[in-house]
Amino acid sequence: MGRSGARAVLRLIAAQARMSALAALQYRLGFWTEGLLGALWSAIGVIPLLVATSYQETVAGWGPWELMAVTGLFMVFSGIFGALLQPALIESMEHIRRGSLDALLLRPVDALALCLTAAFSPWRLTEAAAGAALLVVALVKVGAAPDLWMIGAALVVIAAGIVGLYALGILALCASFLAMQLQNLTYLFDALLDFARWPSSVFRGPLKALFTFVVPFAVMTTMPAEALLGRLAAVDLGIAVVVAAGLLVIARRCWSASLRRYASAGG
Amino acid sequence: MRRWLAASAALWRLGIAEAVAYRTSMLVWILTTTFPLVSLALWSEIARSGGPIGAYGAPEFVAYFVGAFLVRQLTASWVVWDLERQIRLGDLNVLLMRPIHPLLHHLMQNLAALPVRLVLAAPLAIAVLIAAGGATWTQDAGALVVLPLALIGGWLLNFAVQASIACLAFWVTRSSAVYEIWAGLFMVLSGYVLPTSLLPGEVATIARALPFHAALGFPTELAVGRLTSVEAATGLAIQWGWAAAAWLGLVWAWRRGVRVYGAYGA
Repeated sequence: MGRSGARAVLRLIAAQARMSALAALQYRLGFWTEGLLGALWSAIGVIPLLVATSYQETVAGWGPWELMAVTGLFMVFSGIFGALLQPALIESMEHIRRGSLDALLLRPVDALALCLTAAFSPWRLTEAAAGAALLVVALVKVGAAPDLWMIGAALVVIAAGIVGLYALGILALCASFLAMQLQNLTYLFDALLDFARWPSSVFRGPLKALFTFVVPFAVMTTMPAEALLGRLAAVDLGIAVVVAAGLLVIARRCWSASLRRYASAGG
Repeated sequence: MRRWLAASAALWRLGIAEAVAYRTSMLVWILTTTFPLVSLALWSEIARSGGPIGAYGAPEFVAYFVGAFLVRQLTASWVVWDLERQIRLGDLNVLLMRPIHPLLHHLMQNLAALPVRLVLAAPLAIAVLIAAGGATWTQDAGALVVLPLALIGGWLLNFAVQASIACLAFWVTRSSAVYEIWAGLFMVLSGYVLPTSLLPGEVATIARALPFHAALGFPTELAVGRLTSVEAATGLAIQWGWAAAAWLGLVWAWRRGVRVYGAYGA
């Protein structure tokens, strides 16, 4: 893809985002049902952790407000997933099921970029904003004073987490090419995201490896929190970047292979 | 009556056939309900590193959450999504034309999928139990007699609540948003993410009287042998009370709703 291609993709994404935003603004009730309620449910997941800290001072080495910081980061990721990735995946899978993906493939832009921007639910960003606010409050309460280096490390890990999230989304999309019955994978994804609510130190052995390397939830919520609290080891930063890059390469290859096999409606 | 039984049997066979045909899809749906297994990892780790929480040590958490996972499978219902869509898009017309009640259709469809669901979910539960080193179940004969009643009660309660909420679609366009509220409260108050007895003081007392706990926490605690016979009897009475209330609400909402049903949209 040349430079003009990249510019076309950006313009296209902007146009699709504008249209989705206008459509969402027509349904203002969505602010309450999707935005505020979504943020509330997301935050409510912290209750088990608060109950646990009422029995013990720390949970797997994390104090109450440190756990709040992890929850804030979880809400940021959950909001990004719900606003940007999930609607696009559902829309694209519908295209694959009906065969209308053909119309997308014919357009002179990268098909994957089109699929990943196919739909957008702006109200869900309320949750991400609430999560960012919670994160800031939690850091103040803990008394953390992250320097520029720590903030930089956190941003790198968050970026790696977003890349990992999108790579997993692309893999779910690839699976829906294989079997129509796998179209509910995006809901599974939504459910699995709950694993990111808790610091990865509560998991052990194979589960810990799974959530670091295969489904990198640790990269999304635990590592950025560690970075901001000044506890992230340099080697973990490296792991986060390598895992995200690896997943992205695998996802991109799967996507190309899936497209080659795609035989339009019912194929 | 015979006609009714024959129709139910036919719907049962249809439901089983559909569930078997869409087994991959169902397996994915089952995996979306693995949250108790995540809670298991969290709580047993907390109990292992810092000592028991309330009356729960690590092995008790394992038994409780594997139990919760299985109870969740056995009392599962998804009628809210199907019925809401049928009312909203007008597909309900097809069911209304048939000589059997549309709710009976959904009832049998949901019920027939349960055995298939359990067969698919059992290996996962067994694997977790082996990995966690086994768990104890209730040995009490009384509890074993009450348990089927508690599972039926839990299922009836879930189904009626979902169907009632779906019936709101007769009046408003997006009744599934109301269900999201129910589901959010269910997550915290039913014993899905933590046993409700661990909630602080008065909150626990209130939570244990609510329908959320009746639908999941109560049958689970019964199955893993955490209830005395008096507590079991009280729990069953509360649960069936909520189930009866939900069914009354459903019958009322359905009768009023069908009258305003305009075959398309709200």
